[in-house]
Amino acid sequence: MSTLSRKCVPFTPFDRTLDKSTVALVTAGGVHLKDQEAFNIADELGDLTYRVIPPDVDSSQLMVTHHHYDHADADADINVVFPIDVLRDLVEEGFIAGVAKKHVGYMGYTMQLKAMYEGTAHEIANEIDKGSRADLVVLTGG
Amino acid sequence: MRGIPTVLITVSPEVSAQMRPPRALYPKGFKVGNSLGRPNMRELQRQVLRDALTLLTENTRPGDYVTHEYPDYGEQHEPPKVKQ
Repeated sequence: MSTLSRKCVPFTPFDRTLDKSTVALVTAGGVHLKDQEAFNIADELGDLTYRVIPPDVDSSQLMVTHHHYDHADADADINVVFPIDVLRDLVEEGFIAGVAKKHVGYMGYTMQLKAMYEGTAHEIANEIDKGSRADLVVLTGG
Repeated sequence: MRGIPTVLITVSPEVSAQMRPPRALYPKGFKVGNSLGRPNMRELQRQVLRDALTLLTENTRPGDYVTHEYPDYGEQHEPPKVKQ
């Protein structure tokens, strides 16, 4: 298995135009649906799992479970870390073509950086790559 | 797998820069927890998202981050520093 040099920046060129592109959101801010299992913030090592968020989600059905940033503002308006309504606005104004079929929330605090980097990150990339129809991804922390 | 183009919105630019993201926007002075701005400031949130997406069409230098100022955000916050 090849390993990327630390100095090597993974860079995929963007060779479309935004107005023809479908966008997926991936956030480390601990966002999930209220009826999904919450991230395990009692685990000191951090939770390595992720949640898939559907494109037609009602933003009032989203919440944050994360103990390493003050998410009071996200609790009031999830768009400050997971801009799903904002993305829809940009589709309506024609800035982008569409909202991807899958979005992802995970809990970015971890003491298991290698496992997150070698495991979760690949799983999230696969999730987006297979079936989200995303042309690009916007990443946010908190 | 060919790879998926990405852009990061970061409110901890020095921390993020360590991982050398391919494209990154730092909205100046936004506090941690406010990546797109403050609650219900929808037009500001739209502008931040438009600016982040626009980086995909620009000749960015991978590993560097681009700083944009948003006067409507209001009170400025210092971003987390990297411990030396």
